[in-house]
Amino acid sequence: MADAQPPSAGDMTNGASTNDHTTTEASKEYNLLPHLIPNLDRHLVFPLLNFQEEETPEDEDTTDITQLKYSLLKQTNMSDFVGDLYAQLNNLSERPQEYAQKREEVLAKREQYEQETEKLQNLLGDADVVGNLRSDKESNMKYLTENHGVTREMVEQLYEFGQFQYSCGDYHSAAELLYQYRILSTDNDRVNAATWGKLASDILTTNWESAMEEVVKLKDAIDSRLFNNTLAQLQHRTWLIHWSLFPFFNHEPAREALTEMFFSQPYINTIQTSCPWILRYLTAAVVTNRNRPGSKNNFFYNNYQKQLKDLVRIVRQEQYEYNDPVTAFVKALYVDFDFEEAQKRLSEADEILRSDFFLVATADSFLDAARHLISESYCKIHQRIDIKDLSKRLGLSDDEGEKWIVNLIRDTRVDAKIDYKAGTVIMNHPPMSVYQQVIERTKGGFFRTQVLSAAKRTVGFAAAPGALKGFRREGAEGAGGKASGGGRKVWAERRTEQKEESVWAGWGA
Amino acid sequence: MSRFFHGSDSSSDSSSEEEELYGEEAAANKAEDSSSEDDSDAEDDDDDSSSDEEGGKSGANRFLREVSDESDESDEEKVTVVKSAKDKRFDELEGTIRLIENAQKISDWTAINEQYDRMNRQLPTLQRALDGKAPKMYIKTVAELETQVMEAFEKQKVTPKKMNPIAQKGMNALRQKIRKNNKEYHDDVEAFRKDSEEFMKEDVVEDTAPAPKKPKKKLLDNDNTLEGDDDGFTMVGAGGKAMIYTAESILKHLKSIVESRGRKNTDRLEQIRIMERLFDVAITDYQRVRVSLTLIATRFDLTSGTGSQMAQEQWKLAQQEIGQLLSILESNPEMVVIEGAEEWEDDDKLPTMTAGEIFKIPGSVVSFVERLDDELTRVLQHIDPHTAEYVERLQDEGSLYTNIVRSMLYAERLKANTKLEASQDNINRVVMRRLEHVYFKPAQVVTILEENTWKVIPSELDSKITPRSQGTEVTKIVQTLAGYLFQNAGGIILSRAMLCQIYHLALHDHYYQARDMMLMSHLQETVQNFDVNTQILFNRTLTQVGLCAFRAGLVYECQTALQDICGSQRQKELLAQGLQIQRYSQITPEQERLERQRQLPFHMHINLELLECVYLTCSMLLEIPTLAQAGSSPDLKKRVISKSYRRMLEYHERQIFTGPPENTRDHVMQASKALAAGEWKKSAEFITSIKIWDLLPGSAEIKQMLESQIQEEGLRTYLFTYAPFYDTLSVSNLAGMFDLPESKVTALISKMIHHEELAAALDQVNSAIIFRKGVELSRLQSLALTMSDKAQGLIESNERVLEQRTAGTNNAFERQGGRGGRGGRGGRGRGDGRGRGAFGGRGGGRGGAFTGGALGNAISAQ
Repeated sequence: MADAQPPSAGDMTNGASTNDHTTTEASKEYNLLPHLIPNLDRHLVFPLLNFQEEETPEDEDTTDITQLKYSLLKQTNMSDFVGDLYAQLNNLSERPQEYAQKREEVLAKREQYEQETEKLQNLLGDADVVGNLRSDKESNMKYLTENHGVTREMVEQLYEFGQFQYSCGDYHSAAELLYQYRILSTDNDRVNAATWGKLASDILTTNWESAMEEVVKLKDAIDSRLFNNTLAQLQHRTWLIHWSLFPFFNHEPAREALTEMFFSQPYINTIQTSCPWILRYLTAAVVTNRNRPGSKNNFFYNNYQKQLKDLVRIVRQEQYEYNDPVTAFVKALYVDFDFEEAQKRLSEADEILRSDFFLVATADSFLDAARHLISESYCKIHQRIDIKDLSKRLGLSDDEGEKWIVNLIRDTRVDAKIDYKAGTVIMNHPPMSVYQQVIERTKGGFFRTQVLSAAKRTVGFAAAPGALKGFRREGAEGAGGKASGGGRKVWAERRTEQKEESVWAGWGA
Repeated sequence: MSRFFHGSDSSSDSSSEEEELYGEEAAANKAEDSSSEDDSDAEDDDDDSSSDEEGGKSGANRFLREVSDESDESDEEKVTVVKSAKDKRFDELEGTIRLIENAQKISDWTAINEQYDRMNRQLPTLQRALDGKAPKMYIKTVAELETQVMEAFEKQKVTPKKMNPIAQKGMNALRQKIRKNNKEYHDDVEAFRKDSEEFMKEDVVEDTAPAPKKPKKKLLDNDNTLEGDDDGFTMVGAGGKAMIYTAESILKHLKSIVESRGRKNTDRLEQIRIMERLFDVAITDYQRVRVSLTLIATRFDLTSGTGSQMAQEQWKLAQQEIGQLLSILESNPEMVVIEGAEEWEDDDKLPTMTAGEIFKIPGSVVSFVERLDDELTRVLQHIDPHTAEYVERLQDEGSLYTNIVRSMLYAERLKANTKLEASQDNINRVVMRRLEHVYFKPAQVVTILEENTWKVIPSELDSKITPRSQGTEVTKIVQTLAGYLFQNAGGIILSRAMLCQIYHLALHDHYYQARDMMLMSHLQETVQNFDVNTQILFNRTLTQVGLCAFRAGLVYECQTALQDICGSQRQKELLAQGLQIQRYSQITPEQERLERQRQLPFHMHINLELLECVYLTCSMLLEIPTLAQAGSSPDLKKRVISKSYRRMLEYHERQIFTGPPENTRDHVMQASKALAAGEWKKSAEFITSIKIWDLLPGSAEIKQMLESQIQEEGLRTYLFTYAPFYDTLSVSNLAGMFDLPESKVTALISKMIHHEELAAALDQVNSAIIFRKGVELSRLQSLALTMSDKAQGLIESNERVLEQRTAGTNNAFERQGGRGGRGGRGGRGRGDGRGRGAFGGRGGGRGGAFTGGALGNAISAQ
């Protein structure tokens, strides 16, 4: 299915698949690096390789990784570093001459760029000038041309220079330059490219806030600019998903938004179509989301449940295409209800998380949340539980297990008692009262209807017929539900709705 | 015909003179006695013409009774034919004109109007015979009519006396028609007006011109002489002329044959014999190619009728000749047969072929092969599939396939030559044909077919699309062929290629690939717009995907895929595997004929009994637990998974006495009964004793799979049914009852508890299920729940409507409504309604997406 591998950094994957040396067998088997590399920019791959190098035990050979790094960065302007790598590879004491030469060239070029863009940069640094800029790019350009003699070529220079700086590894100034370029340029394609560049720079300078802004911008751009080219859309979305993994796991506030984005229809389809391995990250994110502050709040809790449900569905669907301990854990727990299997998978998943660049930080909270999930559904299903057994299932010692349960009882709304003598927990599942259920369901109804009618009034008369129509249709649906034939039809309609939603953008050939 | 013409000419002249003499009143008198005649004539004509229209092509020449009878017979006995078809048509026209003249005399405008229409109907065939020119006498009549109408009209204006309203109407209509129609023949009419005699004379001369052709045709009639002399190539025709088939005269002969193509009275068999001879005589390859092109076309013409099929020998000969033609073309790279080439005008001498230049001959090899394929299919449709004859004819497919591959190679070669600008379309068509011969066959068959084919094809030929080196592995072949079409074709061929590949994948147990392709193709949305054959292919593919899911043990997916085909009770019709006999059918014979044409030959059929068996078994596995579950709560009763299964089950339950199962359906029904009662062993026994499973590859595993499914579903059913009667149940006991490992039982029960299907909890210490009491709802309570659900749904949909309307401009609403709405929307609100759907996941969603668009359309399009 991944026949649409983007060509962005494809040339350096050659060595990647054979050069995996990580700590354990399991994490080796499930290493995603070869999948990830083609979808990332070469500069973005570098941290991943670094991480891998760090993970590799001392006694093992890291030449492969060095080689990989070398071929990765050969194309860039970071000649010093590349030269070092080369020296390291070939056991030279110092960098070969050519790199020094290249370095000179790069420096000279940089000088030249700086001179060329100096004027414009100065202008943009000038508060007066900036104050005169409006949101309309054309008039801005006109203003600058008329008053300060700025030409289009100069603007283009900004872009070139930004790219150059990026290639040199000076991401701060690259981000700055690209930002300036974007303000002025009217060339949409290049603005888009600049946005990608800016995102990469922001990621590499760990400026997550603005990286998130770029992600949103790119997301909109993909939707609006490529709407009639499904294949390109798929490819760009794949890239975006991979790139946004960086803020996803490094920037706490971004996680909520990105999880939502990943679960939105086009993106979940992209994941399913071209990069099912992202499911690992999605799973980790959803599971760990549980521990987030505010998750006790009813709304968030509901949302969490919903996400979990979606996740289970997707993991189940993609099982035949992608399977690793992290997803297998979810499957064992929520599809097969096999707690032993879930426990086994959890320990494997832990290893994997610890050897994954993105997930290493979340490994502990994942383990914690996963235990919560296990005990939650275990308690839901059982009435009397042997504490020893439960502790075993959670991968804890007896004492720890007891503590765990006590905490669980205290934290969550589980109604349970420990029978110390027998060493069991007795769960009490009071059946949900019917009255309670009806109350729950109709609780917000009146308020929401009021809001609705208020909103209708503000929208004005024009909207009223439509709203009425909606009423009528819904009424008809409700009535139709009674006759078995009608009910079936509604059912079919829903199914088709669901079907239509699954726009399989990937199939462009 | 000219002799008739002169006669009628003079009479009409005199009659018009008479008319002038007698004036209006006399004519009116006359009308009294002749109108009755005319009327009856007109009625007859009407009958005839209406029947003509139904009869189709041969319509026009049925006008005169005796002639039409003759022409009907003439198909069988050519000897009795006296007049040529063209002459007959002229006679008809003349008859019509005479009627018009008669009516003119009595000013019966309605009759004239009718006859005028009829005359115009007869015209096109005559025009074709006269190279697009209208017959002279037609022009004459038209011109005269125009004048007369004008006169009558003027007169009508002046005289106060009112005309008979019917006649008036007729005249007005006629006047308008004439005015419109005469524009076309304006020049001719003018010429006639200027000098009518000269105009008519010309006609005579021209009419005699085609006459010399006739003797030639006659000459060809006497085959005896032809049979006799093989070496001398001389024979004496009826006209006394010697017929010599020599290399030089080949093209001339060919031309005459080509010209007679499509006419009635030509003896095609005779022509074929001549051409076979010509082929032997031919010296140059050019001549051979020309002869074979015509010869093959004529062979196909033998069965141009809709009802008839090609005889085996003819088919074989045609097949061989196509092979011959291809080998000639293969050995002569300077000569190509291509569509849209210029015809070589001068048949007397051979075209000069300059070396290095490519000489084009008009024709289309691909079309021949296509036709050959169609003919074989048609034959196979009509033979009883259980006879030896069917098998015999089916063997011809091998050679046909060879031809297809060879013509594919040829088309590729043409395409490769950029100078020729051969159309991509041809390759696509022939590749599609090849794919259609391969996709539904099991691997071994295709391998043999491919091997034989490549053995026959000269070794120096190789294909770019499917190179020899690629081997004969069927999946690869299908993939490359389909892949080629994906890249190069568009529209319907692309879709068909896709369907073929999906079918193939499903046939070879690649369920997920097939399903993904099916869904990604989005065909279910567009298939309604395709022709019926493609819709049938879609249905077949869907069915095959369903069967594949079944073999993979995916009961739910299988059921959803087969639902539309099997649930409709019209499997036969939807899969084009036989005509459904409908009791109150409104099908016209025409529709029935079309449907017959669409039928697939037997060897392509999907076994319907097996299909039904699979469908019913799947429905059973899904329905019985659902029914058991619904037993307790009235809400769920409405959820019907398979209507047809329910109907059968009800019918079966109504029977007072049920004997031992006889057919598949009985087996499944009794198994269902046993399953519902919790007797899984009995149920499994019934299911596995169905004989038809043996048709599936790996039937032993499938039976095993079914058995374990029955165990699981049996457990679920048991729990649903008997839960109210237990307080606790030991897991080990259950495991023993259903012969399942305890862990499996625990997992199943956990699942049910978690999904809130079962009000119970597990006791880990004693390993038992403890059922909760007091969860049973009264009717009022459950209705209240339903109502609250509905109310919630109502609010949500209203919010959505408003959201759409305002498109997010109304912020206050967004914030408040959105929060409550979104939270609930994905959660409880819908989850209940979907039940299984939510967890059926994409399988469900996708399965649902299969909803056969083709269904309704396959029928309504007829």
